[in-house]
Amino acid sequence: MFVPSKNLICLLLFLCLAGGLAADAVGQEKAPPKAPKSREIVPGPGAEPPPFVREDGVTSERSMSVDPNVAVKLCVSEGTLKINGWNRDEVRVFVKNGRKFGMKALEKSADTGKVNWLWVAHSPVGPPGPASECLAGDSIEIDAPIGTSFDLSGRAARTTVDSIKKIKVKIVEGVIMLRNITGGINAYTSQGDVMVENSGGAIALESTTGNIVAIEVSPGQIGDLLRAKTNSGAITLQKVEHRQIEASSISGSLLFDGKFLNGGIYNFRTSNGSIRLAIPAASSCTFKATYGFGSFNSEIPLKILTENDSPRARTVVATLGDGGAAVSVTTSSGSIAIRKTDAKP
Amino acid sequence: MNGKCFEIGTIQAFLDGETTPEVSLRLTQHVSACDGCARLIASAEEENSFVFSTLERELDTLVPTQRLWSRINDSIAEEKSSAPFWQKVALYARLALANPSITAAAVVVLALGMFAAFVSLNDRVETTIVSSPQSIRPNDAAPVDGGTVEIATTADGSALPSRTDSKQSVTISSLSRKEIRDLAASVNARSSQREIKPVTADYRVAAVDSYLPGEESYVKTISDLKQNVDTQKDTVMTPSNRVSYERDMAVVNDSIKRMRDVVKTNPRNQAARQVLYSSYQDKIDLLNSVAQREELIASLR
Repeated sequence: MFVPSKNLICLLLFLCLAGGLAADAVGQEKAPPKAPKSREIVPGPGAEPPPFVREDGVTSERSMSVDPNVAVKLCVSEGTLKINGWNRDEVRVFVKNGRKFGMKALEKSADTGKVNWLWVAHSPVGPPGPASECLAGDSIEIDAPIGTSFDLSGRAARTTVDSIKKIKVKIVEGVIMLRNITGGINAYTSQGDVMVENSGGAIALESTTGNIVAIEVSPGQIGDLLRAKTNSGAITLQKVEHRQIEASSISGSLLFDGKFLNGGIYNFRTSNGSIRLAIPAASSCTFKATYGFGSFNSEIPLKILTENDSPRARTVVATLGDGGAAVSVTTSSGSIAIRKTDAKP
Repeated sequence: MNGKCFEIGTIQAFLDGETTPEVSLRLTQHVSACDGCARLIASAEEENSFVFSTLERELDTLVPTQRLWSRINDSIAEEKSSAPFWQKVALYARLALANPSITAAAVVVLALGMFAAFVSLNDRVETTIVSSPQSIRPNDAAPVDGGTVEIATTADGSALPSRTDSKQSVTISSLSRKEIRDLAASVNARSSQREIKPVTADYRVAAVDSYLPGEESYVKTISDLKQNVDTQKDTVMTPSNRVSYERDMAVVNDSIKRMRDVVKTNPRNQAARQVLYSSYQDKIDLLNSVAQREELIASLR
């Protein structure tokens, strides 16, 4: 009788010990993590740009003599930016109620000895970084030679550029208006419209949610491409003389009002938006329209070459005149329409 | 018969081989000189032969032979030799528990073993965190919501960039052992809760059906892009941008779904294929736009 009771006591001791250890382990796992004692604050990425600290808040102006074909690089953190071309070999920068800035010559021309690569930037006091080098102010005005090429980036900036040679602009938020740019445009804004008028060269316009408008644009040389792309906005191309055009929008509509030039290649694409082509009745093009659940109609009589007879997803291949230009129109659920204009081909 | 004759019970026992050698010898000598006992033995043998011949089948079945017994014993021995390890351990433990001193010793050894294992496990977790900066980087461990630590991990345990709305980070090297242990517990809990699926639903749907020519590359590209964009779209896009993005994504997905149905119905419809591929391209462009925005914001930071 004694032995079993001794065994029982030993077993109870073992169970108590094991239970205590298990409870300790479980309690440690479930304990809420303590806040770390040492923390360093780092800026986290976010949709909104970091707040602009107007540590200066001054109005200032600087100018520098430059080469007529100078390249200017700058970044704008916040403000309304206006760039104008003038007939002087000088760059002038004016910032109203903003940061102090400097002009740094990155390179000089071997022929003229003048600055042909200029960097306009804020002189940061704090930690260096791209954002701290950006200009900022209520308004920023830049006058530059007509032959200037600009490389511009920014966060929230309403940008207006007029009468320069070439520009590359990428901003996160803001409207881009470009006028009289002769040597090519590369413009991107994530949120805002892009408008181009009376310009030439290879042109690439892109917006995520904004509209794109191009009026009276022409190629600078043979083969220059006009590309317009937006996700939610509408695209309007009017009096465009490029022979290669690619325009696409997902949910926005697309309007082409102009002429199809002989030998040109035109691609228009939407997913849900309508496509309107306003062309002269005497145009010459081979027309290929592919649509899924939309419709297709034309005010101009077309000579149908092939047409698949399917209830869903149809392709119509037709010609106008001699069929000189190749026009491809694709939409998933939008409608395709050809309208007749009075303009001469 | 005489007074030395044996009783029928003894004769029966003799016939059954159950008498001792002395009794068997005496009975044999007596039968050789006694006609009555000889007849009695003969009669008993006849009865035995009749009974055994009649009940031969039953007796063979019911009474195990020596060969059967040996087979049974062999089988038992074989089963004992192939018994599972835990059964043997249980048997040994049962035998050991019968002895109190052995029981007490076993308890002490087990307790020490568990304690040593517990301490060893804790040390290993701490070592892993401290010596592997690539597994938990400062930016990956971002305290949010008043002190809770969030670390994004994939299903295979690799670290991912954490939510970017966090404003603070943890410097691992500055933490005490206890804090690191708490951090590891939090990581384990969250990694078991958050399972980031590397393959999107669209990809799975497409993978079930057979791909059209050229469709697979579209689907894989979209899957990769989507996996990347999903981790950052909440932080990169503003609310209005997000609304536009989701609307456009819905439009494109609807277009893909409908065109896929059309192609499935009529695989020779080239127009449907073209629109389908165009919709795939739209989706890629849409996903790329998020990455492009994120890239631009990062370049200006």
